[in-house]
Amino acid sequence: MNTEVLVLYFAKSAELAGLKSETISVPEELTSQQLWQELENRHPRLSAVREQVVLAVRQEYVVLGNQRVSLRAGDEVAVIPPLSGG
Amino acid sequence: MNDGDRDAQDLIKLTYDKLSADAASDTVLCPSCGAVSMFIGTTRNNFEGKKVVQLEYEAYIPMAESQLKKIFCDIRERWSTVRHICVHHRLGVVPVTEASVIVAISSPHRVQSLEAVAYCIDALKASVPIWKKEVYETEDSTWKENKECLWAGGTLK
Repeated sequence: MNTEVLVLYFAKSAELAGLKSETISVPEELTSQQLWQELENRHPRLSAVREQVVLAVRQEYVVLGNQRVSLRAGDEVAVIPPLSGG
Repeated sequence: MNDGDRDAQDLIKLTYDKLSADAASDTVLCPSCGAVSMFIGTTRNNFEGKKVVQLEYEAYIPMAESQLKKIFCDIRERWSTVRHICVHHRLGVVPVTEASVIVAISSPHRVQSLEAVAYCIDALKASVPIWKKEVYETEDSTWKENKECLWAGGTLK
C-alpha cells in the first residue's frame, strides 16, 4: 500500500534537489534507507549528501538504515543535513 | 512560591528581525530571581582566512520549536531552580557583528542559570534543525556543520 507524504528539503539538500518541498507517493512501511532511496531516485544529485544526512519523520530524527518507518497520509518527512544553528 | 512570579516560562522566538539582548533578558526577569544569565552568538567576520560578509540562516521551524522544548525540559530536570528560559534565533540574513542567537535564563542564584545557558547553546547546536550558510567576500558560500551534530562529517557517532 502506498501513501502520500510531504517531503521537505533544507539547506544543501534543497540546493541539490532544486526544490524545498514536494508530495510523493511511497510505501506505507519501509526502512529509512529505502525512504531515502525514493528521494535519491527522484533527485540523483542528492547522492552527494547521502553520507551526511538524517531524515526527520513526523519531526523525529531517523538515521538512514534498517530502521522501520511507518508512514500515514499527510506525514511530513524532512531531509536533515548536518545542523548549524546557533 | 512567590506571589509576584509568573508561572515558569519557556519562550522561543524564531524571527527575521534584528535580535535585542534587552528584549530577551526582559522576558526572563522574575522578582524571586537574583540571576539572569545570557549567551549571545554573533556573526564572526572570518573563517580560515576568508572574509565573511554575512550568514544566512534557515530553519525547519515547527521541529526547531519542538526540539527546543525538549532541551528546556532537560534543563529543568538538571537545574531544578531555573525559572524562565528564553531562546531567540534569527533567520535569514545576519550581517557581521549582529546577533544570530540569544539564550537567556533566570534562576534565584547564578550557578544554575550560568550552567544551564552553556548546556542550552551546546544542545541547540547538536539537535535543533537550523542551518547557516557562510557567505564570503568572494561571493562563494559554504553550508556550515556544527561539530556537536552527530551526523556531521559523514560518520554517525
